[in-house]
Amino acid sequence: MALLIVLSGSCKKFIEEEPQTALTEEQVFSKLDNIEPLLLGLYTSWRNTKKDRGGFMFTLGSDEAQQGAYQVQTDDRQAGLDRYNGFLTASNTALAQQWDSRWPVIAAAARIIYSLSLNTEEGARKNTILGEASFIRAALDFEVSQYWGEIPLIDQAKFDEYGTRRQPLPLVYQTIISDLETAVQYLPETQSDKRRATKGAAIALLGKVYLYAPEASGARDYAKARDQFKLLVDGGRYQLVSNYADLWDPSKPNSTESIYEFQFNNTYPDNNQTQWQMGSRSLAEIDQYCYFGGYDLMVPTQYCYSDAGNGGIWENGDLRKNESIRYDFTYKGRTPTLNPSFGGDELDPHVKKYEDPRTDGMLSFWLSGKNIFYMRYADVLLCYAETLNETGSTSQGVDLVNNTIRKRAWGGTLPAANMWNAGMSAAEFRTNILDERMRELCFEGWRRMDLIRTGKLVDLVKQRNKWTKQSGTIQAFHNRYPIPLQEIKQNDDIEESDQNPGYLNN
Amino acid sequence: MALLAIIFSFDVHAQNLNATGQVTGKDDGLPVPGVSVTIKGTTQGVSTDVDGKFTISAPSGSKLVFTAVGYQTIEADAAGAPMKIVLPTSSNNLTEVTVVGVTIKKGDLTGSVGSVDEKVLKERPVTNVNQAIQGRVSGVLIQNNDPRPGGGSSIKIRGNNSIQFGSNPIYVVDGQVIEGGFNTINPDDVASVDILKDASATALYGSRGANGVVLITTKRAKKGEGKIDYNAWAGVQSFTRNIPYLNAQQIVDLRSDAYANRYIDENPGADRNAYIQSLLAPGGSAAFGAGELEVYRAGQSYNWLDQIRQTGIQQNHTMSFSKGSEDGSSAYVSFNYTDQKGLLKTSNYKRFGGQVNLDQKIKPWLKIGTNTNFTRTEERYIDGGVFNIASNANPLLPITDTIPYLSWKGIQSQDLYNPIRSLNIDGRGNQNRLLTTNYVVATPMPGLNIRSGFSVEARNQNYFNYVPRDLGQSLRNSTQGSATHRKENWMNWQWDNSVSYEKAYGKHNIQGALSFGLTKNDYDYNQVDAWGFATDDFSYKYLGGAFLKDRFVLGSDFVTNSLVSYVARFNYNYDNKYFATLTGRYDGSSRFGNGNKWGLFPSLALAYNIAREEFMQGSKLSTLKLRAGYGIAGNQNIPNFAYRSLYRPTFTNGSVTYVSDGRLGNPSLRWEKQKQLNVGVDLGILDNRITLNADYFIIHNDDLLMQRTLSATTGFTNRIDNVGSLLNKGLELNLNAQIINQKDLQWSFSANISSYRNRITKLYGNVDAIYNYGGFTGVEIQREGNLFLNKSLNSIYTYKFEKIAQESDMARTAQIDYGGRTIRPGDIIPVDVNGDNKIDDADRIVVGNTDPKFYGGFATDVSYKGFGLNAVFNYNVGGKRVNYLYESLLGGTGEYAAHEDELNRWTPTNTNTNIPRAYRGSGRYGAGETDYSVQSAAYLRLSALTVSYNFNGAFMKKAKMSNLRLYLTGSNLFTATGYKGYDPEGGDGYPTAKMIVAGVNVGF
Repeated sequence: MALLIVLSGSCKKFIEEEPQTALTEEQVFSKLDNIEPLLLGLYTSWRNTKKDRGGFMFTLGSDEAQQGAYQVQTDDRQAGLDRYNGFLTASNTALAQQWDSRWPVIAAAARIIYSLSLNTEEGARKNTILGEASFIRAALDFEVSQYWGEIPLIDQAKFDEYGTRRQPLPLVYQTIISDLETAVQYLPETQSDKRRATKGAAIALLGKVYLYAPEASGARDYAKARDQFKLLVDGGRYQLVSNYADLWDPSKPNSTESIYEFQFNNTYPDNNQTQWQMGSRSLAEIDQYCYFGGYDLMVPTQYCYSDAGNGGIWENGDLRKNESIRYDFTYKGRTPTLNPSFGGDELDPHVKKYEDPRTDGMLSFWLSGKNIFYMRYADVLLCYAETLNETGSTSQGVDLVNNTIRKRAWGGTLPAANMWNAGMSAAEFRTNILDERMRELCFEGWRRMDLIRTGKLVDLVKQRNKWTKQSGTIQAFHNRYPIPLQEIKQNDDIEESDQNPGYLNN
Repeated sequence: MALLAIIFSFDVHAQNLNATGQVTGKDDGLPVPGVSVTIKGTTQGVSTDVDGKFTISAPSGSKLVFTAVGYQTIEADAAGAPMKIVLPTSSNNLTEVTVVGVTIKKGDLTGSVGSVDEKVLKERPVTNVNQAIQGRVSGVLIQNNDPRPGGGSSIKIRGNNSIQFGSNPIYVVDGQVIEGGFNTINPDDVASVDILKDASATALYGSRGANGVVLITTKRAKKGEGKIDYNAWAGVQSFTRNIPYLNAQQIVDLRSDAYANRYIDENPGADRNAYIQSLLAPGGSAAFGAGELEVYRAGQSYNWLDQIRQTGIQQNHTMSFSKGSEDGSSAYVSFNYTDQKGLLKTSNYKRFGGQVNLDQKIKPWLKIGTNTNFTRTEERYIDGGVFNIASNANPLLPITDTIPYLSWKGIQSQDLYNPIRSLNIDGRGNQNRLLTTNYVVATPMPGLNIRSGFSVEARNQNYFNYVPRDLGQSLRNSTQGSATHRKENWMNWQWDNSVSYEKAYGKHNIQGALSFGLTKNDYDYNQVDAWGFATDDFSYKYLGGAFLKDRFVLGSDFVTNSLVSYVARFNYNYDNKYFATLTGRYDGSSRFGNGNKWGLFPSLALAYNIAREEFMQGSKLSTLKLRAGYGIAGNQNIPNFAYRSLYRPTFTNGSVTYVSDGRLGNPSLRWEKQKQLNVGVDLGILDNRITLNADYFIIHNDDLLMQRTLSATTGFTNRIDNVGSLLNKGLELNLNAQIINQKDLQWSFSANISSYRNRITKLYGNVDAIYNYGGFTGVEIQREGNLFLNKSLNSIYTYKFEKIAQESDMARTAQIDYGGRTIRPGDIIPVDVNGDNKIDDADRIVVGNTDPKFYGGFATDVSYKGFGLNAVFNYNVGGKRVNYLYESLLGGTGEYAAHEDELNRWTPTNTNTNIPRAYRGSGRYGAGETDYSVQSAAYLRLSALTVSYNFNGAFMKKAKMSNLRLYLTGSNLFTATGYKGYDPEGGDGYPTAKMIVAGVNVGF
C-alpha cells in the first residue's frame, strides 16, 4: 500500500510529456525573441499567396488577362473566373482557396498585435514588430475587402464585440487605416532584410487605401491619398530605374524603384512556379527546361497585347511592350508549331514579366523564382498623378506622367507625339491613366482593384476579355466575389443570407 | 421396481471395477497421453500413459471425467470392458489467457468474446492473422484492402465507435499491447485469437478498449513427448479480375463521337460525318495526335498494363519444436520464413523470424517465463502510381520505354510518368521487430498469485528509395536523381504488477485482482531527401555524393507518450451458476492536458448458467447461459499534444521562421468515453453439437474525439475536440453445428452474421453538419467523410442522379437553373430535391452510406476418413461504395481511358440506356457530381476452398510421424458482386489476388 502511494506521486510526473520538437503558443508569444521569427513566418505566408496558380486568380477575368484556352476547356470552376457564369458561385473552389490562404495570416498578425499589448519587454524592437504586424494585417484586410466587400475583423481585444461576422465597410476601412497609421509610426525607413516592410511601404499603402476605398466606406479621400504619395515623391528615397527592362532582370532585385517586393529564388519552397502558369505549352512540349515554357494559365487579352492601331494599347516606340509580353517563340533556333489538339492560343502573345532565364536549360520552369512586386514607385507616381487629377490639378498630373513614367517608357526621351496634352480634361485623364496603368503595371496584380474602384469592371472586361465576352453573363454584382460556401457553413456568425447579392450558395 | 432399484444401487456401492481403456484425439485418431482421468465427485484419478491407456479402479456405475489441455472435457460411464474414449479438440484449447498484467481463466471473461483457435487458423494458408480470422467471428469486419505483397488488412469490431481517431482495436500479444504492424505476427505461432467485443470483456484495457481488443496467445508446448512440426505451403497468384477497358479503336470512336456531339450542339444542322472525317485527317487534328491516328489506321491497340505484370508466387515455411514437462515447465521454439513475389514487377516481400516461449518452475511456488519473438521483413516496392498509370494508359500509344511521360492526343502529360521507366525506381523497406514479454509469478499460498511482467517492443523500420536521373519524375522536378532515406524507431515498454487471490468457500467462488501498470512509448524518425546524383549506379546508397545540397530536405521528430493504469477486478460465482465480474480501471494519459489526464472506466458483467440448474438436468439443452454487461471504455488515440497550439521552426525565405501547424490547441480535451451495454445468450443442444451465441449491443459514444475543420477566419485550419455523440446498435449471431459426427464421416458447419447501425446523435453546439473538405484545392466538400446529425457516420453526401436526359425531358429541364450547366439529351440530370427549380447546395443530400446491412461468413468442413473438404465464405450485404474508378472511366470524352460500358452510351438511336452520351467540353454534369457511381458493395466470396488428406495410423507409425496432412487451397476463387470496380472490399487502387496453394503439415 505504501508502495502504491509512493508510486502515485511519481506517476503524476510519469504522464507529463512535453513536445520535444515544437514550441507551444504560450512559449511563442511570451517573448520578442520568439515573436519575431513568427512575424517572419507571416511575411512568408503572405508571400506564398502570390505564388503559383493562386497568385493570379484575381487577375483572371480582368481586361488585361484571361485564362489560356486549354485551361478554360478543362476546368469549369476556374473558367468561371473569366466567364462570370453559373460556376462563379459560393462553391467556386479556386476562390475559396484564396480566401482560405489569407485568413490564417490575418489572424496570426492579430495575435501578435494582441500579445505585444501584454508584453513588457523594453526597447524599440517591440514597436517595429507591432508596426510590421499591423502592416501585414492591413495589407491583407485591404486586399480581401476590395474583392469581397464587408469582411470579419480579427482583433483579439475586441473578439467579444466583433466575433467573426462581416463588419460594415466604414469600420473595415477605419481599421485598415488605423493599422497603417501604426505602421507608419513605427516602421523604419529602411530594412536591411528585404522581406520586411518599411515606413515607405506603409505610406504608399495608406495612400492607396484612401484612393481605392469604396465610396460606401466613406474612407475614399483623394486629398489624403495625394498627401501620402507626395510624402514619398518629395522624400526622394525612391527612384524609377532608368531602364524599364532592369525591373525584370533577376540579377537586379530590390532596386530603388521597389517599395516592397516578395522575395523568391530558384530553390523549393522559395521558388514561385509562376512561369509554369504563364509560359506556353508549345514550348514545354519542345523542352521542359525552356525558360518561357509553361502551361498557359494566364495569357494577355488581345487588347493588352495589341498595338493601338489594332484596337490595343501599345503606341509605337513604347519599350514596355516587349518587356512585358512575349511575341516571339523561337527557342534555340527552333520555331514551335501549334499542336492541333492544344487549345489554340499557345503561340499567341504570353506574359513575359515572370520569365526567369536563370532556369534555362538547367531547371524546370516550375522552379522559376524571380521576385514579385507588391508595390513599386511607378505605381505610386501613377496614383499620385491620379489624385492630382481628382483634386483639380489635372495639368500637374499630366506633366508628372509625361516626365516620369512615359519618359522612361521611351528610353529617356519622350517624343512629342507621345506626350500627353496638359490641357486634357479630368475625364479624359481618367480614361488615359487607366490605360497607362495597364501599360506600366500589367499582370502585377492591381488591375481588378483599378477596375472595381473606377466602376469599369463590367464594361471593360465584357469588351476585352475573350471568355467574358463569349459568355456574355457578367453583371454588376460581379464587382464582388462570393463568400465561400465553407465559410458560411463553418462560421457561426455568417449565414447564407449574408452572401453577397446576386450569388447562389452552391 | 423400487425394490429392484434399491438392490441395484446397493450392488453398485458394494463393488469396484477396474476400468481400462484408451484415449484418442478426435481429429487425428492418435493416442493422447497425459489425460487426467478422475472419478466424478472424487479426487481420485490417474493419467493416461504414452499410448493414451489408463486403468483405474472405480465404483461400478460411477462416471469418469477425462480432461486434457487442448481438448474438451468429457464424461463416460466407468466400464470393465476396454473403453474407447475420443476427445474432441477444445475450441478454447487454452484455459487461461494473459491479459495486461493478470492471468485469468477464459471462463471468467464474462463479456462478449469471439474466439478462433489453432485449427481454424490453419484452414487458410495466409501470412497474417487478420486474414486468417476473416469471416470467422461475428461482429468483426476484416477487409483486405491492401492487396500488395505483405499488405495488411483493416479490422473493425462492432462497426465504428470513434469518429476519426483509433477506430482500430488494440492487439494484445501474450499480454503485451501493440499498435500497428500486425502483419509481423506469424499465424503458425498462434494458438488462439480471442476478440473481446464489449466493455466488460475489454474492461481490463478500459482506457484503450473502445474499439475492441484482439487477444493473441502464442503456442506453448503441451505436456508429454517432444514434438517437431513443419508447416509449409507454396502458391501461385493472379488478379481476380480486371476492368474491361476500351481498346484503341473503340477509344477513337468514342472521342470522335464526343467531339462531334459538341460540334453539332454548337453548329446545329452541320455535317457530322464530314466533321468526323476532318478529325481523322492524317496530319492530326484538334481531337487526335498524328501518332494516335497511325495506330488507329494500323488497327493496333496497346496494353501497357501487361508490361508491368508478372505471376505472383508465394511460399511460407514454419518449423517448430516443443516439449512440456510434468511440473509445468515447457519450451516452444519456432522458425518462420515467408517469401512473396508480387503481381507487379519488382515488388516482393520477405519475412523471417522466430518465436521462443519458455516457462520454468524455479521453486514449487515460483515460476518464470518468456514469450519472445523476433521478426525481420524485407520489402521491395513498385512505385505507388505505376499500376494506376499503366492500367489507364492510352491504348493508342505504342509501347516504348524511351519517352518520359505518356500522352493522350499527342500531348504528353507530366503527371503520367512512363510506367515502364518507373520500374527502375529502386524502392525498398525493411523492419526489425523484437517483441518480448517476461514474467515472474509467485504463489506463496494456494490461490494467491503475485505477478510481475515486463514487456518490450523494440522496432525499427527503414525505407529507401531512389529515382534515377532520366525518369520523368526527375525531369519534372529538376532533381537529377533523388534518394530518400527514412528511418523510424519505436521503443515501447510496459510494466505490469498484479496480486490476485482465488478461493472457494463451499459453492462460493471468489477471485480478486489488483494491478498497477506503467507504459511508455517512444517514437522517433529521421528522413533525408537528397537530390542531384552524378550516376545512378549507387542507387540510394551513397548520399554523400549528392550535389544539390541546397535542395536537401531533412526531417526528424521525437515523441514520447506515457500511460499509468490502476485496475481492480472482482469475480464471483456461485456454484458456477451465477457469475458476476466487477472491474474498475483508472488511467492517466500524457496525451491530455493538465486536469484532463485521468479517466475512470468501470464495468459490471453478470451471467446466469441456467443449464446447471436442477430443473435443467436431463434436458436436451446442454448449455444455456445468459449474459449481460455494462461498462465504459475509453479512447485516447488523438494526435500528440492536440491540447496545445504548436509552432515549429522552418527555414524558408532566407531565415528561420515559426509556423503554426494549423491546429488550434484545445486545453479542455478529455478522454473519449463509450458506454456499452451488451446482452447475450449461449445455447447448446445435443451435447453441444449445435451451439448458438447471440449478442445484442447498444453503445453510446460520448465526447467523441475528432478533428473539426475551422472556418478560415479563425486563423487555424483545425482543432481536435470532444465533439458530439454517436449511437451504435447491433446484433451478432454465431452458429456451430456438427451435423454428422461418426467415426469415419464428420460434417460440421459454422456461420455468423452481424449487423450494426450507427447514428450521430449530437455534434457540437447547434451544428447539424460538419463537412469534409478536400480535392485539388482542398476546399471542395467531399462526398464521404461528412458528418450529419441523425445520419450514419459513413454517409455519402452528393446530388442525386435522376436519369439520363431524353428529348422529352427538355421542356422540364429548361425550367430549372442548373447553375451554369446545360443539359441536353444524353446528359445526366440531377434531382431538384426541394423542387425550387434551382440546383444548389440545398439539393445535395445524404444518398446512402457505406455501412453493410449485415455481413459475416460461413464455413463448412467435411471429413471422411483421412479426406477433408473445407470451404470458407465471406459475405457483405447492403453496403454502398463510391466507385471513383468507374466514374473516371465514364467521362465520355475519349481523351482518357474508358470502361467498356461506354459502348452502350446514349446516342439518338440508343436512348434506352443509363450511360451518358459522349461529350467533349464543359458545362454538363459529370458522373462524379452525383451519386451516379454509388454502387452496391454487396458480395459473396469463396475466400478459401481446401481439400486435404490426413495420413492415418499404420502408415504414420511406420514413418514415425505423429501427423501428416497434405492440402490444396484456392483463395478468393470466386466473388459474386455487382460492383464494377476491382473489388467491393479491396477497393479500386489495385485488384485483389486469387491464389492456388499447395501445403503440407508434418509432425514428429
